[in-house]
Amino acid sequence: MATATAQTLPNDINTRGDVVLEDPIAGREPLVRGGHDFHAVTEMVCKFNEVEVKKTPKSFLAGLSLAGAVATMFFGYVGYLFWEGPGIWGNNNPVGWAWDIVNFVFWVGIGHAGTLISAILYLFRQKWRTSINRYAEAMTIFAVICASMCVALHTGRIWMDYYLFPLPNQMGLWPNFRSPLEWDVFAVNTYFAVSLLFWFTGLVPDFATLRDRATNKWRQRIYGFLALGWRGSMRHWVTYEKAYQILAAFSAPLVLSVHTIVSFDFAVSQLPGWHTTIFPPYFVAGAIFSGFAMVNTLMLPARHFLGLKDLVTVRHLENINKVILLTGTLVGYAYGMEFFVAAYSGNEYEGFTFINRSFGPYWWAYWIMLSCNVVTPQLFWFKKIRTSVGWSFVLSIFVNIGMWFERFVITVTSLHRDFLVSSWDYFVPVTEVFFLLGTFGLFFTLFLLFVRFFPVIAMSEVKGVMPEANPHWEGYGDHGHGHAAHAAAAEVH
Amino acid sequence: MSHAIEKPKDITIPAGSLWAKLPMLGGGAAVIGLGATLAASFGEGRARAMFSYLFAFEAVLAVALGALGWVLIDHTVRASWSTVIKRIAETVAVTLPVFVLLWVPIGTIGFHDLYPWTHEADAVLDRKRWFLSNGFFFGRAALYFVIWSFLSWTLYRTSVKQDTASEGELKGLTHRLWRLSAPGIILYALSQSFQAIDWLMSLQPHWYSTMFGVYYFAASILAFYAFMVLASMGLQRAGVMKTAITTEHFHDMGKFLYGYTVFWAYIAFSQFMLIWYANLPEETVFYMVRNTGGWHYVSYALPVLHFFVPFFFFLSRHVKRNRVALACGAVWTLVMHCVDLYWLVLPNYGTHGEGAHEAVLSVGWTDVAALVGMAGAFLAVFGYFLTKNKVVGINDPRLPESLAHENY
Repeated sequence: MATATAQTLPNDINTRGDVVLEDPIAGREPLVRGGHDFHAVTEMVCKFNEVEVKKTPKSFLAGLSLAGAVATMFFGYVGYLFWEGPGIWGNNNPVGWAWDIVNFVFWVGIGHAGTLISAILYLFRQKWRTSINRYAEAMTIFAVICASMCVALHTGRIWMDYYLFPLPNQMGLWPNFRSPLEWDVFAVNTYFAVSLLFWFTGLVPDFATLRDRATNKWRQRIYGFLALGWRGSMRHWVTYEKAYQILAAFSAPLVLSVHTIVSFDFAVSQLPGWHTTIFPPYFVAGAIFSGFAMVNTLMLPARHFLGLKDLVTVRHLENINKVILLTGTLVGYAYGMEFFVAAYSGNEYEGFTFINRSFGPYWWAYWIMLSCNVVTPQLFWFKKIRTSVGWSFVLSIFVNIGMWFERFVITVTSLHRDFLVSSWDYFVPVTEVFFLLGTFGLFFTLFLLFVRFFPVIAMSEVKGVMPEANPHWEGYGDHGHGHAAHAAAAEVH
Repeated sequence: MSHAIEKPKDITIPAGSLWAKLPMLGGGAAVIGLGATLAASFGEGRARAMFSYLFAFEAVLAVALGALGWVLIDHTVRASWSTVIKRIAETVAVTLPVFVLLWVPIGTIGFHDLYPWTHEADAVLDRKRWFLSNGFFFGRAALYFVIWSFLSWTLYRTSVKQDTASEGELKGLTHRLWRLSAPGIILYALSQSFQAIDWLMSLQPHWYSTMFGVYYFAASILAFYAFMVLASMGLQRAGVMKTAITTEHFHDMGKFLYGYTVFWAYIAFSQFMLIWYANLPEETVFYMVRNTGGWHYVSYALPVLHFFVPFFFFLSRHVKRNRVALACGAVWTLVMHCVDLYWLVLPNYGTHGEGAHEAVLSVGWTDVAALVGMAGAFLAVFGYFLTKNKVVGINDPRLPESLAHENY
């Protein structure tokens, strides 16, 4: 990694609009552009957090009000659901699982990109993750909140949900431990707990920065409370780095396990279209796919409005899009393999299910899924497209749509043609659209609040991958060779 | 910690070393081992010998295919930690064209003995004829070999070209490797999955599993990493790249060995658990034959010895940074890889056609002979190409980054 180029690039690609070709000889593109020093990074990230509450921009308030209104509508809808029961949905025999489960799988899938970025890319020492991990993790937490809402609300008698947990009770009733639905309860709860811890651990040094910069008492007290007495001493950093690595190691298997268990919800059954052995890795790939698309959907506007283009650069965007291309193609492999094996197996039921999926009454859902998940992401083969902000945003929306439809296709089309022809039905949603919309309101409300009050970029980690963090760094311009990228975050200060 | 690490100079195989003799030694082993196996296939023991042959073929092919997949991925992710060992992997992969010859007995002598669908008929098999038919089967095999040979040969040649290329050409050659690798992954993924379906899954033609291609991939990349660790250490013993490949590189190889051990277990467990749970007869047949006649010992041993033992072994940082311990782990992984492939192939022996019986575990001498012969053939070609060119891509633009690689 050439440190000199970071400062001497004549035209910054983020302002120039076109993109430097990857050049193996010149080295790698810098992770932070624009010649900022540590202080400038802090200023950029904290700027929006430190706007006085009374001076919050009107446009932000408008966005928050809209999201908040939809979230409020969601809680109203939940009240309605309490009162009426799941009869307000289109679920019926044979389609007993529909949007409730579709929304759950959709949201829990989105969370996976955050964990992949924060844990797996950390273990792989992918330094570019530092600019995107914070809000990707936030996205994970909010997505898991939405997912747990969906799954908690789908049970019917919601006030009995505590039976999901193995609590001793006078009736001696226990959940069925052999059911993957029960494993889900544990998987999602573990996931939420570990993700939250991981996120919070990463936030501590940045909370301390906000505390130290605070200009009023309340701000100082609240951020001071959250910073847990962080002083930035060497001992703090050593402990912090160890804790961070251990949490990353704990989180890494969660990237796989949670969606694997979600896939078990379907795959342990004997239903054609649900029961197939490739489901676990296929669901995991799909989850990461949808999550990265959501990262783009959230990151591109945030980067624009908060002025973070030098921290979240086109290089980050390109990497994200490459992951989307990879995982989209993996999902395509799974679709193809399922279809092939349905034909190869010689099993009539398998064959029927897949033909019905693509050409039956729900053909439109299948083709939306296929074109949004497999076809359009292939555009990312072109460098022009995967480095274009506009294209990336549009294609990320396509992926969001496609991945919702994937879950719809899997859940509903496999059910609506039962083994018993007399019970065949065509599922139509009734009020479910408010359910889906409402979770989006909740998600965006939480996300906007996060953007307002939390540092959206992990300042301390970004500083750790800047050339200045290298112990051998002796100012700009005189060390254009050798290894620069060798700096533990412990050495930042 | 110096700023510019000098490029290694010990990058060719010394004339007198064991590696230089590998083509001879491996060739000898191939002639004796494969010769004996094929000799056994003329006569009563034909089917048994051919099952041994297929097992050995797939077990060794996995290493070469794993290497091809690894090189493609390595280019695509623009990795640099691994540049110092990349030529070794390219050389493993470039043995793939030779597997055409090694495959011939499977498609000729053993064809009927191995694959019941070639001569049996029932309602289910009749519905599978569109895929499991002789012409299509051979056509697909040809296609796989064309893809593998093209990819591995082009990657190897382009990389070797960089050794003598001028400063100006280097960049273009690296870009060519990158451009080939990303689409190459798609060709690779499809061909390696379908070879697993054709040559392994169709041994039990009624059985099917969408996971099977992924299972073979997991096995092959794991076997490749184990081989890579041993090859790197072996080369250093012969005085090649003694300081260039550092503990840091071994540490990372160890991490991948650990990671893919977990990945293999994840795939194997998912496949088993879903089939066990749904309990559909057309799927459970795979585990049924592996649950009788002594095979159940192997079935129980695999998760313990191929997952739990290496999982706890490789977990430690000290193990990954200690050459002796890492070598032990790599040997262990390769042995378990062979057991895994043995468990995939051999239970099908004798369970179809005349005199069909329950699967019985009985290791025969042809198993050993075939494996030794196949490994010999592979090592001979590997040694030949390794001796022919430099052992490291000395002009690779990413080499300085790789030489300075450090874990922290």
